[in-house]
Amino acid sequence: MNRKNNYSQAVMVLLVAIFAVAVSGGLAWSMGSRVPVVGTPAEDFRLVDLEGKQQSLSQYRGKVVLVNFWATWCKPCTTEMPAMQTTYDKLRDKGFVVLAINELEDDAKVREHIKQHGHTFPVLMDRENKVANQFGVFGLPVSVFIDEKGVVQEYIKGGLLTEQLILDVVAKIQKREPIKAASLR
Amino acid sequence: MMVGKRFLLGLILGVVSTSFSWFSLQAAHAACGSVTCFVVVGSQQQVPQAGLLTFNTIYNYTPMRLPDGTNGVIPAIDQADRRLILDHHREIRTITQTVTFDLNYGITDRLGIQVTIPYLWRTHKHLDGLGEAGPTGNGELVPFRDNGVGDVTFTGKYNILPTLRSMIVTGFGVQVPTGTTTARDDHGGIMESPGQLGRGHVGLIGSLYQTYELIPQRLNQFFYGSYRHTFRNNDGYQFGDEYNLSLGASGVPLASTPWLMLTGQFHWRYMVHDNMNASLWQSAPAGNGGGVDPFEIDPLFANRRVPNTGSTYFAFSPGFQMSLDGIIDSPLTKMSSAYFYAQLPIMRDSNNNLAQGTSYIFGFTRSFQLTQTGS
Repeated sequence: MNRKNNYSQAVMVLLVAIFAVAVSGGLAWSMGSRVPVVGTPAEDFRLVDLEGKQQSLSQYRGKVVLVNFWATWCKPCTTEMPAMQTTYDKLRDKGFVVLAINELEDDAKVREHIKQHGHTFPVLMDRENKVANQFGVFGLPVSVFIDEKGVVQEYIKGGLLTEQLILDVVAKIQKREPIKAASLR
Repeated sequence: MMVGKRFLLGLILGVVSTSFSWFSLQAAHAACGSVTCFVVVGSQQQVPQAGLLTFNTIYNYTPMRLPDGTNGVIPAIDQADRRLILDHHREIRTITQTVTFDLNYGITDRLGIQVTIPYLWRTHKHLDGLGEAGPTGNGELVPFRDNGVGDVTFTGKYNILPTLRSMIVTGFGVQVPTGTTTARDDHGGIMESPGQLGRGHVGLIGSLYQTYELIPQRLNQFFYGSYRHTFRNNDGYQFGDEYNLSLGASGVPLASTPWLMLTGQFHWRYMVHDNMNASLWQSAPAGNGGGVDPFEIDPLFANRRVPNTGSTYFAFSPGFQMSLDGIIDSPLTKMSSAYFYAQLPIMRDSNNNLAQGTSYIFGFTRSFQLTQTGS
């Protein structure tokens, strides 16, 4: 019984070790990076939108960009989208754009949701979760405000974005008012 | 500043001990902290979002009976006189019902603390005094029952690999001896250590929890492993080390009912034998007419392996979980869910001792957002 139990124990520990190594290795490509530091340049990315066109963050250089990570199953995400739409409508001709990055859902489902709610801002599909990992996203929603030079100015985890909040942040960025350090919220 | 405030709140919760705007893709596949119930319930193993308190209430019914082919003859543990009396008891049955209150709090998005408070009802029967008691020396029936708080566990957890699809959480727990170790059976004798509600000394628990969304929001897999070491108590008794592994998957079978999740998991548990500082005695053979006292084999108080302890157990647990706010949209059901599991033994090796039978677990989870995320 002793020898049998010791062998059984050794086999299980070995299996666990192999499994742990396999999991760690397999997940290495998807490992979340650190949250971007406010005041540092945002890492560029390239994603396909719902029309099948490729869009990049860098193509919006010169505008204030609200990068919003969301999903249709995320109630707070869908709750704050009307505020994002209203602000987009007000400021799109004044140097502001919303990039709504959908996480891990299929086009048909997202297209139906966008059509149903009448959203017109660009919706990009992060099917492989890579851009979310670039921005240290492991919960939704996350909103990142990036200024005209491509520098991260605000990183907001959770919600809810309101129209006033978005207007205030954009105004602050465009007026180049000083942002307090460690403004991760 | 807010990190400090959340840490203080978490510390207060931990010392006193005794819902949300930031969702993760991780499916909440709920947990249980009792030694006899190691169903993985993700809301326990995970680190909640910063400022989120998750409260689990779990009921567990665990019967232990003799498997076929065993006779349940085991040694008696005489704590008062520090004697290990071989072949002195014949086990019949133990039934343990546990209600566990589990609080899981996210200090930051990666660091969490957890407090697990079990309340147990235990009934036990065995024949005591083989060779000595009873008209034929087959022993006399000794029932035991007790209820109360068991050993409370405090666990610190860290999410080392958070992404939207995956999570790896390491945990380190301390089990404090809050459970009683002096309850008496119906004949007035102190119940042996394995039957008491508490273990009588500190235990240390290391754990690893991993989960990955194979199909986001539809199917995920999970793995859980833990190791527990318990120090020797004041009765000279030391419970053996315990290893647990669980591997399973959970999924939403129908897109039209996203509030219903089915789950299945395999468990393997290996328990090293117990030890006791005691002298060694031997009972007379049972059924010899009775009246023959045990005789001493070795008077030396030495660290002895307790025979018929230690076990290997392999089981499968199917179950389901329902997100209540997906069924009924109301403030009362917000961020809450209910779940049920059955634990079905597949293989048991209990060293001629009682073995765990089919167990049942019912649970309820509710989350509260105590502080704002990210602030």
